[in-house]
Amino acid sequence: MKEFLDMGGYALYVWPAYAVTLTVVVLNIVWARRALTRSRAEARRRLIAQGELQ
Amino acid sequence: MTWTWFHRLASPPYAYALAARLTPWFAWPAALLILGGLWGGLVLAPPDYQQGEGFRIIYVHAPSAWMSLMVYTTMAIAAAVGLIWRIKVAHAVAASCAPIGASFTFAALVTGALWGEPMWGTYWEWDPRLTSELVLLFLYLGYMGLRAGIEDPQRADRASAVLAVVGVVNVPIIHYSVTWWNSLHQAPSVMRLGKPHMPATMLVPLLMMLLGFTLFFVALLLVRLRGEILSRERSASWIREVVRA
Repeated sequence: MKEFLDMGGYALYVWPAYAVTLTVVVLNIVWARRALTRSRAEARRRLIAQGELQ
Repeated sequence: MTWTWFHRLASPPYAYALAARLTPWFAWPAALLILGGLWGGLVLAPPDYQQGEGFRIIYVHAPSAWMSLMVYTTMAIAAAVGLIWRIKVAHAVAASCAPIGASFTFAALVTGALWGEPMWGTYWEWDPRLTSELVLLFLYLGYMGLRAGIEDPQRADRASAVLAVVGVVNVPIIHYSVTWWNSLHQAPSVMRLGKPHMPATMLVPLLMMLLGFTLFFVALLLVRLRGEILSRERSASWIREVVRA
């Protein structure tokens, strides 16, 4: 396990590279869902303001 | 050949419903492929004979770089379709692509820097490949900034689409930069004519990551697309059903 984490001496480069990519992947999921939720809430507010929805 | 599928896709309620239905069919295979690719790349693949264990950065760097180019190409095609046929859904696709592409371009640059330091002795060099990839990041950010700066959605769609289409010249420049110029960056290992320069135990995890990231992009695009469609439909009656849920 220690050997695996050490990455043949490249640990300082390999693991940050994986961490950055994983962060970007996770953030994309969060951002995409948040964008959809926000657009839905906005559309809802618009319809209520127009009196087309209670 | 009939074009009815194209016209149906251009209809916002149809595209919205289809996007919702298709998302899990891309998201789950993407998750499985990426997990399998990680296992193969970090554990099963043998160390490189020149770069040792350090080469494993390829399993996150190459997919990120591939995303940066593929997403931009998708964005430019969607923008062109939106401009030519005045299709709202196409503009919505283009707008959905930008933040995804920008974030993966950032990942490609950072993972590339982390690979460059141990292998070339520098995090950054004003080299053709690296510089053109940085320009790509600025194209994405410029596209997003332009959209954010124009209030009227239709004008924002058209102006940003022109930028996206013009900027696509950078895509072949990035891809061929390592062939055309003397670059620090290594030549393509997978996307080359003839056989890839890798044994199967190294190559298969990489292909899994590339495909997994591509499917992940489609899933993200489908989720974002629904939001973009909603924000473009001002008073259509079908929206009532969608937001009520």
